[in-house]
Amino acid sequence: MKDLLTAKKLIIRTASALVVLVVVMFVCSLIGTESVSLKAVFGGVGQQATVNPDYEIFMQVRLPRIILACIVGAALACSGVIFQALLRNPLADPYILGISSGAGLGAIIAVISGFSWTLWGRSPIAVFAFAGALGTVWLVWSIGRLTGKSHVTGLLLAGVVVNAFFSAVIMFLMSVAKAGQVHSTIFWLMGNMTEEDFFVLWVSAGFVVAGIVALFYISPQLNAISFGEDDARSMGVNTTRTRTIAFAVAAAITAIAVSLSGLVGFVGLIVPHGVRLVFGPDHRQLLPLSGIVGAIFLVAADTLARIIVAPAQLPVGVVTAIVGGPFFLVLLIKYTRKVGWLGK
Amino acid sequence: MNIIEVHNLSFGYSGAEVLQDLSFEVGRQSFLAIAGPNGAGKSTLLNLLCALLKPKSGTIRIDTEAIESYSTEALAQKMAVVRQEFVPVFGFSVIETVLMARTLYYGQMRFENKADREIVNEALKATDTIQFASRPLGSLSGGERQRVFIARALAQNTPILLLDEPTSFLDLKHQVGIYDLLKVAQLEKGKTIIAVTHDINLAAQYADEVLLLGGTQADSGYQYGHARDVFSLEQIERVFDVRAFAGKIGQEKFFIPLGKFAKDSGQITSKPPSGRQK
Repeated sequence: MKDLLTAKKLIIRTASALVVLVVVMFVCSLIGTESVSLKAVFGGVGQQATVNPDYEIFMQVRLPRIILACIVGAALACSGVIFQALLRNPLADPYILGISSGAGLGAIIAVISGFSWTLWGRSPIAVFAFAGALGTVWLVWSIGRLTGKSHVTGLLLAGVVVNAFFSAVIMFLMSVAKAGQVHSTIFWLMGNMTEEDFFVLWVSAGFVVAGIVALFYISPQLNAISFGEDDARSMGVNTTRTRTIAFAVAAAITAIAVSLSGLVGFVGLIVPHGVRLVFGPDHRQLLPLSGIVGAIFLVAADTLARIIVAPAQLPVGVVTAIVGGPFFLVLLIKYTRKVGWLGK
Repeated sequence: MNIIEVHNLSFGYSGAEVLQDLSFEVGRQSFLAIAGPNGAGKSTLLNLLCALLKPKSGTIRIDTEAIESYSTEALAQKMAVVRQEFVPVFGFSVIETVLMARTLYYGQMRFENKADREIVNEALKATDTIQFASRPLGSLSGGERQRVFIARALAQNTPILLLDEPTSFLDLKHQVGIYDLLKVAQLEKGKTIIAVTHDINLAAQYADEVLLLGGTQADSGYQYGHARDVFSLEQIERVFDVRAFAGKIGQEKFFIPLGKFAKDSGQITSKPPSGRQK
């Protein structure tokens, strides 16, 4: 019984992970092409930019970007956990049901349309990407439902078809778009962290944290659903309600992440796996820890993206794939024997 | 006093009737085996009894209440289900798997309490799975895994256990091990056991009543009663469409099916089967 997860263990591990996150955020906020003096930063509240550039760089460039990476990393990692559980597929990620192509289609439509308005501080690309992501999930979910009550395979197939169709439309639009528009779209598709104002960040963070708390509340039911819908129902889980809540929340937080940063790959696949391999598959622990580790991972990856080719910047999606892939392989080799779900 | 009452139950898939006008009752703390050839509707009946399927007509009553009146949560307090073997996707350990049976009773913090852990501990001991409680489910043999799923069903603490072919893929030792375990659950813990099985000999030895599906129109398509009344050589040969040798150990008969090219096929005096008359 000593190996079992307890509330005390969960609180200690979550708190420890949060401490690591704060340390990483703090260290990464000091790293960049311009060196920043902490003394100047903490003594600089209320001063003009010309008087205290350190404070301005810290507060208006580094900190918003780091908070942004936290929100996106946490949202994508938790969303990955949910899609892997619901689809009972270790290869699932937040984009598996076509969210990426839907968001991409929204983004390129916004770019080609040349809109210049903003909605609650959000650019047309962000707004269209958000709508495209949610619209696609709704479409895939509706098609999946037509295939029957237990529609995991139906959902996956609908996701593949919608993804392929929207990708073709994106290719078509890119082939008729102007060079500048194509460049903006590709840059967005690779995933980028750009400075956002604090209003957007706090609102997004509020929704993502609320989503993760809601998902935590249904995490025991997600454990049961990992054994299949019929088994879960036999154990008293209302599978329809649980799946609907989980899909809706995971899709919403993914759409928020995508509208903030474009398509950052790999986080939603490798972070849940990494946490699962080290701490086990219990979703009560997997969800909060994946959220925090996802945030740590993306903050660190974005810091690398800022400094590797400084003063130029890499899209963060490139770093997550290059760093994340080998890191994941190491974890896989080290822990596969321990958990035994990839064979004996 | 009956815990399950089934009256005039019919069900079919896309027009084809699988179960027709089926009626039987299951007494509290009894052991019912559901047997029959492939396609006779055994697993379908099990899925109807746990409300995964809805009957085309007829009624199922659990503890005198119509099954439709139960919520998913309420039904899970009445019956636990052990399904056929499957491969888990993620690396849940044995104890985590068994503990999932208590999901329904988790508190606001979404954790089990001390009583839940004691129930789980008892289920692990009863099924002799406590020695590998912390091992991943995927690392166990088929027989061990089946015992874990029975432990999970016991931990759900319900008066009824439904099992779908609990001994398929298991060797002889593990087959009787599972049936002994179920008998102990029935006799010592007062459970009502309903097991779908292909093994008519084990069913005869362990079950109080037998429901044999796949009969003829003349016998209403099924036979229900005590094993020694339901399992006659003529009935077995007709329902399973096979020639068989029948013997008797003590109270119960046993049957060995023998095909045309079996070594002792010539010892059987009955006529070769001429196709099931359904």
